[in-house]
Amino acid sequence: MTQALPPLLDDDQAAFISGGVSISAAACRSGGLPSMARATGCRIAADRRSITILLSATASAGLIDDVRRNGAIAVVFSLPADHRTLQFKGGDARVVPLEPGDEALAERYVDAFAGGLEPLGYPTQVIRCVLACRPDDLTAISFTPSAAFLQTPGPDAGNALRSGA
Amino acid sequence: MKIKLDAIRACLDGAIPGTIATCSPDGTPNMAYLSQVQYVDAGHVALSYQFFNTTRRNILANPHARVAVIDPETGAHYRLSLQYLRTEQEGPLFEKMKAKLAGIASHSGMAGVFRLLGSDIYRVLDIERVPGAVLPPPPPRANLLAALRASAEQLCLCSDLDSLLVQTLTCLEIHFDIHHAMVLMLDAPNARLYTVASRGYTQSGVGSEIALGEGVIGVAAREGTPIRIGHFAAEYSYTLAIRDNLQRSGLAPQLETEIPLPGLPGSRSQLAVPIRAGQRVLGILYVESPQDLRFGYDDEDALVSLAGGLGAAIQLLQHASAETAERGASVSPAAEPGSAPAAGPILEVRHYAENDSIFLDGRYLIKGVAGAILWALLNDFAAGGRIAFSNRELRLDPRIRLPDISDNLEARLILLGRRLVEHQAPIRIDKTGRGCFKLHIGRPLALLHIPHGG
Repeated sequence: MTQALPPLLDDDQAAFISGGVSISAAACRSGGLPSMARATGCRIAADRRSITILLSATASAGLIDDVRRNGAIAVVFSLPADHRTLQFKGGDARVVPLEPGDEALAERYVDAFAGGLEPLGYPTQVIRCVLACRPDDLTAISFTPSAAFLQTPGPDAGNALRSGA
Repeated sequence: MKIKLDAIRACLDGAIPGTIATCSPDGTPNMAYLSQVQYVDAGHVALSYQFFNTTRRNILANPHARVAVIDPETGAHYRLSLQYLRTEQEGPLFEKMKAKLAGIASHSGMAGVFRLLGSDIYRVLDIERVPGAVLPPPPPRANLLAALRASAEQLCLCSDLDSLLVQTLTCLEIHFDIHHAMVLMLDAPNARLYTVASRGYTQSGVGSEIALGEGVIGVAAREGTPIRIGHFAAEYSYTLAIRDNLQRSGLAPQLETEIPLPGLPGSRSQLAVPIRAGQRVLGILYVESPQDLRFGYDDEDALVSLAGGLGAAIQLLQHASAETAERGASVSPAAEPGSAPAAGPILEVRHYAENDSIFLDGRYLIKGVAGAILWALLNDFAAGGRIAFSNRELRLDPRIRLPDISDNLEARLILLGRRLVEHQAPIRIDKTGRGCFKLHIGRPLALLHIPHGG
């Protein structure tokens, strides 16, 4: 079982994905169209064995529906400043209750992400608008990462970093 | 209400990168960033294929994909449901995307990493507006339709090619707020474009040339498609192209016949639009700006429409001028012969047969067809004092060797006339009516012909 292995996520990756990076998730229905949504924050379990992303339930309705059906998820994290990009996949994604502090976490995330975009000349007001989420609309999806991929643009993009499966 | 693809094209210019979700046959989702989402037509988009990655593997096995794009001004967020159809690895769409990608790559520090392998064409099955707040859109910079209409009305009034070109550049300035523009005509047999009019540069650059396929202008002419870049891209930059040309020519410095292309230093947005007559490309209307992402899809549409009118007008004027010249030729009154002033310093006119280049007192003036025209005019003048000429006889003159019967002789004459003025030469050609003009000589001439290898 994966429990016997060290966690897939190392310290550096954990710091990276919980920083001011762009977060997008995909799910799918077998044979059907994939679904997708932007996330507005990420929290990592103390043992680094699970990743929880925060999303707007309204804007992510299709993704949540697919996750509920089969638990498959892919989440990509990218830092606009240097294009460093990591993708984590899991097969046990589920909608979980919010934890205390999640609302504040989402707010801090938006500040960190927008703050990193400002010097790059991105329209940060627009980004804040896209990521804005009413507190009562915030929801959380949690999964155990079972595979990690480097996706920084280039010929190595897509290479598996390690598979925990 | 169904959202139409052409209503959300502002989201496709890459100011905020899009994302693509795909799904493998075993049901594993994948998410990736997109460098480029290109509007193809009302029902299709093309995505850049740069690496053989998971996205690529997935769409080849399961053609369904979803793409998220965001309006860079309002934050409106859309999801497109797509079905992969095919990949194009050459042709107009591919070249369009390749040029745009070069700009995106250099802007994002990815020059040398991003390389277009293909344009993946997708059918747009559905567009969904993602619920969420939006910002009010900024006021539009200009009403492009009104600008187009005003320009079309003014271009209709032009009765010769020269005023048509001048008016086009004026309309771009006044109605489109575009201050750096040029018109180049295609010399198809020689696979080159020559600048015939420009606006907004320190040097007019009239007479400068670009090889077919070189930079945004050369690629637009070769592919017969608009090419639009939103950021500086070294591989499409003309400062480099010119330097390379200079190195390649290998001519002795005194024979250097390169007129620098005007070009804007620090140009960031560039748009080259073919000017057509039917299927045939006559030339290129080129605009540029020091601003990033200055020209969007709507600007491209407007200039394609403007260039359409311009192409039709050029063709009409060319026919009209040919007809008038034909009718007039039989009744053309023998103009009084002219003579050069007897006094004053002699102007040495040197003609190199090799490339029909003309040097006035050792300074390069012009080459090619326009050079051959001037040489023929000056020889006729020297032989019998002739000063009145018609376009029709020039068209048939074996000394001039027009590269193509459809060649725009008027454009060559405009080019010659402008070069003489810019050169402050004591030689001028002035239009005296439709299809005829007069030669003015202000100094005694010494004509010197240098044959091939001379």
